[in-house]
Amino acid sequence: MEKTVEVTNVSKSFNGQTVVKDISFEIAPGEIFGLIGPNGAGKTTIIRMLLDIIRPDSGEIKILGSAQPEETKDLIGYLPEERGLYRRLTVMDSLLYLGALKNYQSKKRALELLEQMEMLQHKDKKLSELSKGMQQKIQLIAAICHDPELIILDEPFSGLDPVNMKLVKEMIVELGKEGKTILISTHMMDQVERMCSRIFMMHRGSGVLYGSVGEIKSKFGKNTVFLDFEGELKNIHGVKRSNISGNYAELILVDGADTQDVLKAIARDVRVSRFEVSSPSLNEIFIKVVEE
Amino acid sequence: MTKWITIAKHEFAYNVRRKEFLFMTFGLPLFIFALFGLMIFLSASSISPQDFTIGYVDKAGTFEGNFTRYAGEDIAKNDLLEGKITHFFVIPADYRSTGNIEIFSKKSRTQGSIEGEIKAFLLDNLMKGDNKELVERVKNPIKSEYFTLNENGESGKDDISGIIISLAFAAFFMLSIFTSSNFLLQSVIEEKENRVMEILLSSVSHRDLLTGKIFGLGAVGLTQVFIWQVMGIAVLSSGPVALLLKGVSISIPLLIFASGYFILGYLVFACILAGVGAIATTSREGQQIAGIFTMIGAAPLMISQLILSKPDSAISMIFSYFPLTSPITMIMRISTGNVQYYEVVLSLIILTVSILVIIELSVKIFRASLLMYGKKPTISELIKYVR
Repeated sequence: MEKTVEVTNVSKSFNGQTVVKDISFEIAPGEIFGLIGPNGAGKTTIIRMLLDIIRPDSGEIKILGSAQPEETKDLIGYLPEERGLYRRLTVMDSLLYLGALKNYQSKKRALELLEQMEMLQHKDKKLSELSKGMQQKIQLIAAICHDPELIILDEPFSGLDPVNMKLVKEMIVELGKEGKTILISTHMMDQVERMCSRIFMMHRGSGVLYGSVGEIKSKFGKNTVFLDFEGELKNIHGVKRSNISGNYAELILVDGADTQDVLKAIARDVRVSRFEVSSPSLNEIFIKVVEE
Repeated sequence: MTKWITIAKHEFAYNVRRKEFLFMTFGLPLFIFALFGLMIFLSASSISPQDFTIGYVDKAGTFEGNFTRYAGEDIAKNDLLEGKITHFFVIPADYRSTGNIEIFSKKSRTQGSIEGEIKAFLLDNLMKGDNKELVERVKNPIKSEYFTLNENGESGKDDISGIIISLAFAAFFMLSIFTSSNFLLQSVIEEKENRVMEILLSSVSHRDLLTGKIFGLGAVGLTQVFIWQVMGIAVLSSGPVALLLKGVSISIPLLIFASGYFILGYLVFACILAGVGAIATTSREGQQIAGIFTMIGAAPLMISQLILSKPDSAISMIFSYFPLTSPITMIMRISTGNVQYYEVVLSLIILTVSILVIIELSVKIFRASLLMYGKKPTISELIKYVR
């Protein structure tokens, strides 16, 4: 089956500084794909190249089987990281204009999506009258209003409160069920862990990990403990590093440490209400990969 | 294929609703009219002769008329200080041989019209006894009318229409470029700043975006000019200004040429300004760069004397074909009749081709420098982009 996105040996530099170094990956139709890495890893540059906003110095990009960006632009939906809409236009006018630029102007679909995102009562307001989170949702609607085949979301969760975050996540999952191909780019790696089937992890312009989330995790083994506790956690023998936030902690064990010994050591100091041995989070995996 | 039309329509609709546009289009002319009205009112009231009461001291002993006569300077000075008169003048005994006249007033500068009134008074007295006709002629000896002979020896009344039309065209052209350069620069820079640009470029090509902007915002500028024109014609055809322009005749072909040069010339500038907007990081910086081009555009106005008198000199020729200067230069030459048919065709072709070339260059620069927020490319980088 033809790939939705094919990136082959793509490099890009600005002013002699290499921002993207020999990157290759593919996204299959209907896949929810995560492009993850810290800020400045080169994710947005790759996305801009996928959209033909800038061109790669070398390498090839094919979208929906075509290397001609003009043929495919109408089939892509894009939520940029730097949000921007015309502040003085109304919500409805913005959606219709951006739709027209994709050769797909549908008032009906715009209204449906506004309803789904609980924004219907704001449709005649100017963008400048809306809160940041609301503008964010409008921007997401603008990205999918023309019913695109490929949806590219750059940092879709930044600036959202938990309620809206849930709405947006549900929306993404639903689009995935409809068979759309979705690329999510984010530095919040844990956000996409459960959503994405496969990921491409970047660091300083290079790819460091590529594959299905399950595969990657199993490769790194079960060396992490999720802990809910009461009391004060001290240095524990067998724990390499710990991320403590209040009464919750993620403990990364040294290689070969026995989880039972660790549990006993912890139980001496604090009351344990949860002790779960698990694979490391993508965050941890990233840190590990970068450190090596 | 037609996405640039969608963009042009949007840019037009979005920008004519701007407050700045409405203010410039309707507020500025009203402000100028009000200013002119005030100036005319003030100057009219300050020179009205009713405000003067003039006295004189006649040491020569033979002058009389409808000014207050004083026996001596002291009394006249007193009346002046008390405000009974605004001016007085002293005619010395040897006036007939020297022509010396001393004029006194409380204000340091005396208006010119005072001298005119005194002159008329003196002439009436000097020429007492001569007939009225002669006195009138001496007061106003020349009413001129100029004629030029053409090669066949036929004389025709000198027509200044050509010069007035070409200067009006030039002034109008420059004004339009100055005001709409703002729209173009601001629109491109604003979208760079509020990041709408990225969304637009994910839907349309750089060329469609730039072309749509040039034509949409160009139409905004032309609309503004059109509204001004209508307002201007309304003012000119009413009242005293119409008298001034009675002698100006505009031929239909000239009007067609003027419109053609106006639109093409305007588009050349619009394309350049869109390119400038693409490299500028702030609108102030954009204005500065744009200023260089508008200065070049205004150059034919500065040497209009030369173009009108020596239409086939090298400079006139260069200005006739260089796209930034050709609209004003060619209209000057057409309106004074110093131009060959092929020259018009050639300059119009050059204008059209340069529009296409400049769009192409602007698109390349736009693409290369667009998302380098906050950094202006150097000249050498620009040359690299254009290649």
